[in-house]
Amino acid sequence: MVKQFTGGVHKDGIFSAASLLKLTGLALEITVTKAIELHSLARRYGAVCVLRDINLTVSAGKTVVLWGDNGAGKTTLLKVLATKLRPSRGRGSVFGFDLNKEAAQVRKRLAYLNVFGGVYGTLTALENLELAATFYQKPLSREQLVESLAAVGLFEARDKLARTFSSGMKKRLGLARLLLAEAELWLLDEPYAALDESGKGLIDRLLAQAKESGRTVIMASHDLERSLNVADSVLHIEQGRLYTGTAAAKAAPLGLAHG
Amino acid sequence: MAELTFVFTIARKDLLQEIRSKAVTVATLFFSGIVLVILAFAIGPTPAALANAAPGGLWVALAFAGVISAAQSYQTELEDSAFEQLLLYPIPRATIFLGKLLANWLFMTLLGLLMLPLMVLLFGAVLEQNLLWLLLTILLGTLGFALIATFYAALTANLRARESLLPVLMFPVVVPVLLASVRATGEIVRLGNLVSSQDWLKLLLGFDLIYFVICTAIFSYVVEE
Repeated sequence: MVKQFTGGVHKDGIFSAASLLKLTGLALEITVTKAIELHSLARRYGAVCVLRDINLTVSAGKTVVLWGDNGAGKTTLLKVLATKLRPSRGRGSVFGFDLNKEAAQVRKRLAYLNVFGGVYGTLTALENLELAATFYQKPLSREQLVESLAAVGLFEARDKLARTFSSGMKKRLGLARLLLAEAELWLLDEPYAALDESGKGLIDRLLAQAKESGRTVIMASHDLERSLNVADSVLHIEQGRLYTGTAAAKAAPLGLAHG
Repeated sequence: MAELTFVFTIARKDLLQEIRSKAVTVATLFFSGIVLVILAFAIGPTPAALANAAPGGLWVALAFAGVISAAQSYQTELEDSAFEQLLLYPIPRATIFLGKLLANWLFMTLLGLLMLPLMVLLFGAVLEQNLLWLLLTILLGTLGFALIATFYAALTANLRARESLLPVLMFPVVVPVLLASVRATGEIVRLGNLVSSQDWLKLLLGFDLIYFVICTAIFSYVVEE
């Protein structure tokens, strides 16, 4: 089945669609790269089961929106995918790398945006970004980092301490860090939260660019109407269970039905 | 070599944050100074008794200050979920531990050096003799203490009762380091006995090596949820 190939990273090495075709000299059938595969995955916090029997396959390049009530398990699922939390049961992989056994490899392929931005208040915006550039091993000059801040609307605030920022500005700083990573997989926890209209527009543009560049995006969002503009599929989480069928039924009135 | 860069970057970040906030510096300096003054006052004016108590006073002050320092180094990480982000960077998690350890160690060593003039002033300790050996003792003692404190502070960082649990959990483990540090300091300051102090310093070095290997190796499991 030939559908789409965006290039990707496998355990056997790094290759791209172009290099593969060059090697074979023929346009052969290429299978779809699986960005995420979860099988019977569960996660508990003590006695409380937050995720139950999650089965999910996401192809590379797709944008998937998770929605559900507060406490339904959206953030927990994102944190499990990010290797912040270990699954209590079941197994999963990201780009073929096991979430438990190859967590370090998984982390090399993802960028995570948490609700609060994940920034250091006693560092300036620029210092926060310098820190991220070091950890992502991107040798960028100060000018390039300032450009990155300007791209998310933080040029004026580049030398201000992040503790003086509003929640929206912290989120923008988190976005600048996300872009710096140039990761294959974006995990976004409530990306629209705390942002003003221009900030939400920025997220829309970044998501559109991510789709164009073949990036896989999983995002938890309450702003379903907005998310539907970029989503390839919507998954509904309710009490730790993932419902694709329910999502189709619930999303249908909003203009998207996806099984 | 990238790992070394990560370690120094994390240590630099922690120290820069402390220089800006001064939260730990003010608290620990004040606390350590008060401990030494109260202790000297309680012991009384007898020079011999004061000289005997000087090593204990120094390490009591450093130990309590070290707990505050280690706990605070994770407290700043928890604001705005920065620690969560730090754990998700594509860097070996051991480098996070080593970076925070380096920052805590440097801070404690600096604090130890600042306590030395107070020891002279309040306890009448004579430090000019064998000052290098005393500095070595402070370096090794604070390293051992910082190792345990940094490790257990990570372990308790996400717990609600972390402030009370941290000393309860770490002090039984750190006792050998403190005992060896007090005895080595006593041998150097009080008796000027370098041969005997070397035995304690070797023991201290042994503890440091063991704790270094164990804490670095299992840190990634400790921060895993």
